[in-house]
Amino acid sequence: MMEELVLATETVLQNGTTEEAPFLTDSGAAALAVGLSALAAGYAERGIGAAAVGAIAEDDDLFVPGLIMTVLPETLVIFALVVVFVI
Amino acid sequence: MSLGASNTEYVSARVRARKAALFTDEDYRKLVRMGPSGIARFMEESEYEREINELGARFSGVDLIEHALNRNLAKHFGDLLEWSEGRLYDLIARYLRKFDVWNIKTIIRGIYTGTPAEEFQTDLIRAGELDDATLDRLLEVESIEDVVELLDGTTYAEPLEDAREEFEETNTLVPLENALDREFYVHLLDDLGRPQEGPEAKYVEFLQAEIDFRNARNALRLARSGADLDPASYYIEGGVLFDESELNQLVANPDELVDHIADSKRYGNRLSEALSRLRDADSLIQFEHAIDAALLEYADMLSSIHPTSVSAVLSYILAKEREVENIRAIARGREVGLSESEIEEELVIQ
Repeated sequence: MMEELVLATETVLQNGTTEEAPFLTDSGAAALAVGLSALAAGYAERGIGAAAVGAIAEDDDLFVPGLIMTVLPETLVIFALVVVFVI
Repeated sequence: MSLGASNTEYVSARVRARKAALFTDEDYRKLVRMGPSGIARFMEESEYEREINELGARFSGVDLIEHALNRNLAKHFGDLLEWSEGRLYDLIARYLRKFDVWNIKTIIRGIYTGTPAEEFQTDLIRAGELDDATLDRLLEVESIEDVVELLDGTTYAEPLEDAREEFEETNTLVPLENALDREFYVHLLDDLGRPQEGPEAKYVEFLQAEIDFRNARNALRLARSGADLDPASYYIEGGVLFDESELNQLVANPDELVDHIADSKRYGNRLSEALSRLRDADSLIQFEHAIDAALLEYADMLSSIHPTSVSAVLSYILAKEREVENIRAIARGREVGLSESEIEEELVIQ
């Protein structure tokens, strides 16, 4: 019983003495940046992909240009990955 | 109204590819020099291959060309409705209903003149919202009353029913056809409101332009025909260029009518070239072709403002319709022995 009380007071006291952990650590923020940019790339590819499939349906030769155009927004994610290496 | 997201990107990509496959000036120049069988052969090597092959056994000459054109048009516009989803479907279907109006008119005219259905059924363009089964049933009926009854449940039933009395009194088709046209144009713009910006605003702008030009054309026809008809009964609401009383005054004077279009803020600058052609045109047909060309130009301009939007689809629909009409004009022109320059005058090329 006594032990538990000591433990509790220690915990309460600790609150005043130790520093609070930051909301986001550096690596956490970088991860968020990558995640958000991936989301943006996905949204951008939605439109381009739809248009590319439409173009390919009309003309098979457009498969390669369509594919390249569709993956272009992936560069967004690569740029965000740079942040990971910088920090 | 259908719900859900539109797939504008997909549809506009496909539509642009098809628009690029339309006949060019060069092709028209070649076609003008050919006879009907040459045109059919030329078409066989193009977009129209399947239709020409399918119908080749049953028809020949100009009839073959005409039926192949109609069928191809229906196929392409049917595709548009098949691809599009959500809001986009709604906007396209709204515009393609003009083929419903065309089909009903054709059927009513057929019944009125007592032509057997086999003879005009290929004139139908099965691209609108009325399904094949309904159209086939409409082909079988024998009186206009039955047509109205069959259309019960569609938007056309009520205006037709109202116009039928007048038709029975005067025994002319004008009230029925007017009722159909009006129904189409009224529904074009209803519930769209007046959006201020974005693709939908351009869509509304285009439809207003079409209504304006339709009004201008009707006014000119009335002015030239000299018939003592009330212009107000042909007036279609929804445009921005004229109101009803203005139109009544302008009908009396075609030059003033052109000036009125040139003075308008919306069309004056953009259509200056077409308008100068309008002024030079001495025949009504040239005048109307200039209006068609202006509308085409207008649609193209709108589609380059919002590349992935319903505007691109509209500009394709218009361009395809023009192509079909151009080829038909060439074929018919050759058949009756018009000269090359006379046929070229009949064409609307951008």
